[in-house]
Amino acid sequence: MTQLPTNRMEAWRWTDLAALEAARSTDRGSAPALDGLWIEGDGPRLVFRDGMYQPKLSTPGEVSVEAISPATAHPLGAVTAGDGWRLTLAAEQTVAVIQIVHVATGGENHLPGVIELSRNADASIVETFVGAGWTNRLTTIRLAEGARLTRSVRLLQASGFVSLREEAEIGAAASLASIFLGAGKAASRIDGELVVTGDGGLAEMGGALLTRGEQRQECAVTVRHSALDGASRQIWRAVAADRSAASLAARVDVARGAQKTDGEQSLRGLLLHRTATVNLKPELEIFADDVKCAHGATVGELDKQALFYLQSRGLPQGPAKAMLTRAFVADAIDRIEDEAVREVFAADAEAWLNEAL
Amino acid sequence: MLRIEDLHAEIDGKPILKGLSLTVNAGEVHAIMGPNGAGKSTLGYVLGGRAAYEVTAGSVSLEGDDLLEMEAHERAAAGLFLGFQYPVEIPGISNLHFLREALNSQRRARGEAPLSGAEFLKVARAQAAALGMDAEMLKRPVNVGFSGGEKKRNEMVQMGILDPRIAVLDETDSGLDIDALRIVGDGINRIMRAPDKAVVLITHYQRLLDYVRPDFVHVLADGRIIRSGGPELALELEREGYGAIAA
Ligand SMILES: Nc1ncnc2c1ncn2[C@@H]1O[C@H](COP(=O)(O)OP(=O)(O)O)[C@@H](O)[C@H]1O
Ligand SMILES: [Mg+2]
Repeated sequence: MTQLPTNRMEAWRWTDLAALEAARSTDRGSAPALDGLWIEGDGPRLVFRDGMYQPKLSTPGEVSVEAISPATAHPLGAVTAGDGWRLTLAAEQTVAVIQIVHVATGGENHLPGVIELSRNADASIVETFVGAGWTNRLTTIRLAEGARLTRSVRLLQASGFVSLREEAEIGAAASLASIFLGAGKAASRIDGELVVTGDGGLAEMGGALLTRGEQRQECAVTVRHSALDGASRQIWRAVAADRSAASLAARVDVARGAQKTDGEQSLRGLLLHRTATVNLKPELEIFADDVKCAHGATVGELDKQALFYLQSRGLPQGPAKAMLTRAFVADAIDRIEDEAVREVFAADAEAWLNEAL
Repeated sequence: MLRIEDLHAEIDGKPILKGLSLTVNAGEVHAIMGPNGAGKSTLGYVLGGRAAYEVTAGSVSLEGDDLLEMEAHERAAAGLFLGFQYPVEIPGISNLHFLREALNSQRRARGEAPLSGAEFLKVARAQAAALGMDAEMLKRPVNVGFSGGEKKRNEMVQMGILDPRIAVLDETDSGLDIDALRIVGDGINRIMRAPDKAVVLITHYQRLLDYVRPDFVHVLADGRIIRSGGPELALELEREGYGAIAA
């Protein structure tokens, strides 16, 4: 196994590596129930238990399970080599929403995934993580001209550590829109590198990290524009309660030739308690001169005036705070296009709010 | 209905209300007028239960219950409505969602059954229509992008939906043009003019009082009520200014 990163490395300084170590040394146990995790729809469904495919619980459709040897330099991504899942779609092919549930019972588990969409193919994938232990994933994505992929990923593990690494290459006029929700109790790192290689490509990676207790979650995402007329969007919201910490690191690189790039980067943190922490690290590296990059990064508490306004109309303090926090998180979650998926993610966030507030 | 006795309140250690007393009976409309900085909005916030204001002496009772013991949302459920001088913009929360949650919280607190979505929508649409507010605005985020006048109208729509026993309206007339003033005035009369309800109308100007006729007019200056009278007092203030009265 390759060397794990340490907190002395700049790119990993906020990562809860202690939680990762603790999670991997736990014993395997029993799996939580999976009912209630499926979203309505008749698309393919796959279950991986501790990283192992569960054919009896799956209807894989277009998804195949096979040996995958990823070419990545990423220290956690590289660990995933072995059996994994692959979705390959031919030109113009579209599939119904694919759902993958990853259930972990303890210890460590690793799994690579590959998504390759040919010209104008269209796919949508929802992934859900539940259970315990260290769950480690690498997803490699290649989108040919005009292909469209939407990804919605929710982290609901009750304990442990979830590390996700996304590596995507986005071709001309192709689009990748991926939204992540961290609403469990595990520590996490959502790590991504999206490269827009074709003219007019769109890269979106964003989401909401909700942390409480002693939990630490982070995202570390880079979008690189190397072609003309590209667009990217990084809308991240962090809500931190108790003594938890959420960290948002997002970077946009615009290469010299990537003129007319339209980038949007918005990192915002909300502290529900004074003892919580939100770290923000927005970065822009722009080498082209004709580029639009809107960006903002702020951390604050709930607006006291707004809170009193809601309370004065009859809402008790808890529900009033929940309502304002929900609106804050909605900036990220409302980016999910599919209504059924969006509602399920919103309900997960709601459940988190009801417990945290 | 509302009895305020010798109320002292401060913010950040600065005394603002300095012994204010006022009794409002059911069926009455009281106007409170006074110069800028007199403490009018402070009175509204203290009655509404805003945490930043500390009551250092005195008492307030609503229908015999100790208002100051209640949290802000309990005061609302007990029938108090505060119309804000500066209604707050709340991005990301629709008027409808907010008001339905608020109304149903109040109803639950009073032991009444919550309204269904359809029942609530009917009430909300009727109140918006009565106040000349486009029903589409109910779907918009609370007060976001509303003009000053629209915000004040929205306060009245909220009041209509929540149907309070006593309303404390803080400069609901400011920012309104003549037509909007009439609509808002009519709204206050329609919603609040009843034998078992009461209104405390905080205003700078006589003009709202042409529509909502007060039974009593009080002058608030430097944290106290320094003079009380009938509607004629408002006319006198308009003519002579606060300076002459306070002197
Ligand atoms: N947050 C605050 N901190 C300190 N002083 C305040 C605060 N809010 C209001 N005040 C002061 O309290 C006094 C009364 O204000 P206010 O009640 O708004 O008056 P009015 O509504 O009659 O114009 C003013 O002198 C004002 O400056
Ligand atoms: Mg005022």
